[in-house]
Amino acid sequence: MADPRNDRHRPENTRPQVFRLDEAGIVVTEAPAPTEEADEIVAPAPPARRRGFSLGAVFWTALGGLASLGIGLAVTRLIEDLFAQTQALGYLGVALAGLLAVSVLAIIGREVAGLMRFSSLDSIRERAVLALATDDRPLAEAVTHDLLGIAKEMPALARARGDLSSHLGAIIDGADLVRLTERTLMAPLDARARQLVSDTAKRVSVVTAVSPRAVVDLLFVLYSAFVLIRRLAELYGGRPGALGMLRLVRHVLSHLAVTGGMAAGDTLVQELVGSGIAARLSARLGEGVVNGLLTARLGLAAIAVTRPLPFTALPAPRVADVAAGLMKKAQEEEVRPQLGSRRAGKAEGE
Amino acid sequence: MAMGLLDEAWIGLRAVADRFEDLAHPTLRLGVTGLARSGKTIFTTALVHALMRGGRLPVFEAMNAGRIAGARLAPQPDDAVPRFPYEDHLASLASARDWPSSTTRISELRLEVSYAPVRGGTRRLTLDLVDYPGEWLLDLPLLDMSYADFSRQALELARAPARLPYAGALLAALGAHPPAAPADESAARELAAIFTAYLAACRGERVGMSLLPPGRFLMPGDLEGSPALTFAPLDLQDGAALPAGSLGAMMERRFQSYKSAVVRPFFRDHFARLDRQIVLVDALSALNAGPAALADLERALDSILVAFRVGRNTLVSALLRPRIEKVLFAATKADHLHRASHDRLEAILRRLVERALARAQEGGARIDVAALAAIRATREAEVSKGGRNIAAIIGTPEAGQEAGGQVFDGSEDVALFPGELPANPDALFAADGAAFRGLASGPDSEADFRFLRFRPPAGIGPAGPLPHIRLDRALQFLLGDRLS
Repeated sequence: MADPRNDRHRPENTRPQVFRLDEAGIVVTEAPAPTEEADEIVAPAPPARRRGFSLGAVFWTALGGLASLGIGLAVTRLIEDLFAQTQALGYLGVALAGLLAVSVLAIIGREVAGLMRFSSLDSIRERAVLALATDDRPLAEAVTHDLLGIAKEMPALARARGDLSSHLGAIIDGADLVRLTERTLMAPLDARARQLVSDTAKRVSVVTAVSPRAVVDLLFVLYSAFVLIRRLAELYGGRPGALGMLRLVRHVLSHLAVTGGMAAGDTLVQELVGSGIAARLSARLGEGVVNGLLTARLGLAAIAVTRPLPFTALPAPRVADVAAGLMKKAQEEEVRPQLGSRRAGKAEGE
Repeated sequence: MAMGLLDEAWIGLRAVADRFEDLAHPTLRLGVTGLARSGKTIFTTALVHALMRGGRLPVFEAMNAGRIAGARLAPQPDDAVPRFPYEDHLASLASARDWPSSTTRISELRLEVSYAPVRGGTRRLTLDLVDYPGEWLLDLPLLDMSYADFSRQALELARAPARLPYAGALLAALGAHPPAAPADESAARELAAIFTAYLAACRGERVGMSLLPPGRFLMPGDLEGSPALTFAPLDLQDGAALPAGSLGAMMERRFQSYKSAVVRPFFRDHFARLDRQIVLVDALSALNAGPAALADLERALDSILVAFRVGRNTLVSALLRPRIEKVLFAATKADHLHRASHDRLEAILRRLVERALARAQEGGARIDVAALAAIRATREAEVSKGGRNIAAIIGTPEAGQEAGGQVFDGSEDVALFPGELPANPDALFAADGAAFRGLASGPDSEADFRFLRFRPPAGIGPAGPLPHIRLDRALQFLLGDRLS
């Protein structure tokens, strides 16, 4: 057009162009455009902890250094002594020391890998939350790719994985893609996680009810909770080593502290009624129900912490879901002694 | 919307009857709304096909989870209305690779979907759909207008710069027939014919106007030639009364009977009782034509969407005058753009319907905006030329389409980069009408956008799934909660 002011907006490379597919001088790649990695998008970082010179760090560093020096010295002395005794014993000592070193390295490597995996799951969850909020397609695609990578090691998800990867080429918006991923990959895992929590809660309540000493059930509750957290983490793709477990337990407990109050709000009445009745019937049974409920709540917190995606498309499990069996069981058991006691009471009265 | 008391009572009565019917057979009345050539027929066909045959619909949860047992066509409620020819449309898509020809009459379809709710069991949802010529929607704003209003608006539009080149014959004929002249049937016929020709010229691909009431002039259905359709706007003097027996008085009477005999029953029978609505908007054709076409589209959409009652239902309104509780605004033909531009197309649509969006939100209705293609006719590709990568689409342009100095024969695939949509949609709506250049404003090579019409994709069978873009998202939004 002659009017020069119309050229104000449009640089030449935004103008329409038509290409014949066999045209000279062009290359047509017929594939979905490569998904850009969402490097530039950074999740809002929590305020960094003040790093600085801390007395505790100095103490532990010094102590650790001394301890390793001591161990090193002791081993060296031992080997020298062995050599002094007999040549053969010396070589055996060297070999054993080498084996020790290798195994320590391997253990450290495993721990580090577990921790890294743990934080990669955390980062997936953070990115998923961000993708849901901003409806960001590249970010959601990256999340789905990462989860597919993790799901590769879970044979039970083979079919779901196939379904999901066949949808990846389609045009799906960010939030929809995260929800689709959750529905496809997480649904089978959620069902198993729920079963795990519910089973553990039941076991804890039964053992508490029949255990002869308080120490026994305390130990059992702790042990069950530990195993439950570990198995949930493994179910959702984490491989926590000892350090990873430590961190995981800390997360679960802090999550429990944050959400415990709210969760108490929605099921408080039910719990009070349930445990109240049970407690009146038998102190032991009441303790069992309470311990079972505690375990169930701990399991839910562990699910929230270990699940790599937030609950959006699927409903988050509630205490009532995993503790339903618990209540029923307790009530069934209540009925029998109740009948017995009433009959006894009547007999007394007559 | 000015409806007579009788009509209101009728609508209320039908609504009450619907509620009772709902108790026995839950029914969802889905209003597919859109101007001519916005893709209503295609959307309806794709929706029916998706529910009956399934397909790749990951975001549509009920289908993806396998909870939809099946869907079948059921006898429709009105025996006097033709059935939506779903099978014919599908056959023309699959075998001839042609889009269905434009809709000339109203048709209905009832679909019974049997599904398993999330809690288990089997239930049935009846889905009522109506297809109609999009031109007829332009009649809805007329219900609130007098003949004088209509004439004033029509002539004001005809004298606008974008339409003036096509309105010469109309303006000349109006000059020759003053409103006060004695009524003359042949003059009325002549004027109506010239007016119709003007309206038809304004909707060509290069002009791309949308606000062209009355709708039956462009798509008369079975009323062609009847007196109710033999009128035209006249150059009325402000405030001057029309003497009895004059041409103006005859035109006014015919305009009134057009409203009462044609427009009101159409609205009352098909739009007053919708539960959900999808508004299909073809923004790309307007971008093709130019800023005037885009402004015209905005005005047409705004005037039409006022007619619908949108908002959250109260107890009383749910019984007597149900409101539309969910509205999806959809920019159709998203397959004419690379996926990287879809968000921008959505932003343009948001800007186009911003007043209707605000009204719906105020009323408490749930709304969503999406760029979709009910049937996807293109593939995406990356073209590298001279060291630059261009995100393009590949499709088969219809025979006779031309771009870049080439005319296509309808059998060859080409890669097209249709022009870059602006990141900020306001850039397209500049008040001076020169925000961008379309086909209407100069030679083709100068246009900022060129969206070709592509033929339907090759290799779709009547039984296989249809390719689409975000049809699953639309289905999830419109039907998902009723199927869970």
